[in-house]
Amino acid sequence: MSGIREVKGMTGDEAVANAAKLVNPDVVAAYPITPQTIIVERYSDFVNNGEVDTSFISVESEHSAMSACVGASLTGARVFTATASAGLALMYEILYVASGMRCPIVLAVANRAFSAPINIHGECTDQLVCRDASWVSLFGESAQEAYDETILSFKIAEHPDVMLPAMFGIEGFIVTHALERVETLSKQQVEDFLPESRSLKYRFNPDDKMTFGSLVLQDYYMEIKRQQEEAIQRAYQVTKDVMAEFSEMSGRKMEVIEEYKLEDAEYAFVSYGATAGNAKAVVDRLREKGEKVGALKIRLYRPFPSLDIHEALSGIKAVSILDRSATFGSPGTIVQTDLASALYGKENVPSLHGYINGLGGRVLTLPEIEEIFEKTKDYHDIGMTTTTDWVGYRK
Amino acid sequence: MMVKEAPDEFERWVKEKWGASKLPEGGIVPYHSAYAYKTGDWSAFKAIIDKEKCISCMNCFYYCPDSAIIMDDEMKAECDTQFCKGCGICAKNCPVDAIEIRRVTR
Repeated sequence: MSGIREVKGMTGDEAVANAAKLVNPDVVAAYPITPQTIIVERYSDFVNNGEVDTSFISVESEHSAMSACVGASLTGARVFTATASAGLALMYEILYVASGMRCPIVLAVANRAFSAPINIHGECTDQLVCRDASWVSLFGESAQEAYDETILSFKIAEHPDVMLPAMFGIEGFIVTHALERVETLSKQQVEDFLPESRSLKYRFNPDDKMTFGSLVLQDYYMEIKRQQEEAIQRAYQVTKDVMAEFSEMSGRKMEVIEEYKLEDAEYAFVSYGATAGNAKAVVDRLREKGEKVGALKIRLYRPFPSLDIHEALSGIKAVSILDRSATFGSPGTIVQTDLASALYGKENVPSLHGYINGLGGRVLTLPEIEEIFEKTKDYHDIGMTTTTDWVGYRK
Repeated sequence: MMVKEAPDEFERWVKEKWGASKLPEGGIVPYHSAYAYKTGDWSAFKAIIDKEKCISCMNCFYYCPDSAIIMDDEMKAECDTQFCKGCGICAKNCPVDAIEIRRVTR
């Protein structure tokens, strides 16, 4: 098959399920929730048809799903699950248990708005608010990236220097339900990339009994948390290495951030997930009009790739941050505050203009992004270094 | 077989005050039974039992919420101070007032 790539039409959800099938995890414990449902449906088909060796645990809630994943992961099993929005919020307590006990679980998130009012459509707030749970956190722009990130998330999480869970998000309906072109990998490629053997230190073992989930109070708790911080810092380099290896294997370039026409740019868009596609389209339009503009996509959100972002944005005048997430009473949009912390006090940094958009699946059109660009230029021209706006809503 | 003592490694990291770089990850520690976790070190009171008065009724043995009462070879009640929290339930239920709850002086 060398040199020939197999291409299939898949929705984002199907891409995740098909990639997980190649990984063939030992345990999948999941509860369906729109727009993630198809991942679980397809995967249970694979189990039913005997196409995978997975034990599929049907649970009664997401809290139980993540709890089952933790238990399974502590035996050394390779574990996968998927959720969205309210389901992720219900898992929230156990997210900390999973990372605290160093379980390299992989979680696919079909990013969806929180209730109330009830809404099932795309928005990334659900995943962004899990930023402090000591999980490696990635975003994907397309079904292709969903496919690729499913596979490489296992390799990052299971690395002996990391041993932390990893989640990756694709936007509900915009990516999860859109039929796209996906270049697939072979079973052999995935087996070579993700070997069966992995670190089983601190896992259940009948010959070497351990105590899991022990009570750790004032005298040791902080040391255990510090270990997690050091592990997630190491995950930064591990992610870069894993992505480089994946790029070589798949022939598709994968990096912690993606730069688009930034070399000579004076202005830039910063975005993540599906919005990045629109940002790049607007860059092309504006370039035709003679504007020096580029785009940066954040693929790795935690650990935050501050160094790469500073390097990519240094020398740029002003940045428009397209943030499909809600935050209230905050000094900026969620990703804007991260960027501001990463760039504060450094040299040659741009002014930061955050735009909360696309909540509950609201479409952010290309002309609207062009308007955002003009707005950012105006802010910059009158010397404002940071602003935050809501865009695309009726006053 | 019931292991009553904590493994050497556990003793060492307590004594030597190990930090983040040396401690096992995730609070996952070598297994030992509840006997090895000496949980009574914070109590302000302890049960002091007068064996002369004890009639071996075993009320204290059954009522103790922490299994801190041991019956000795002569079936007399004894308090394991490494687990006793000084709650006083045993003293309350002793029919012959053989148990006194006393403040611990350290």
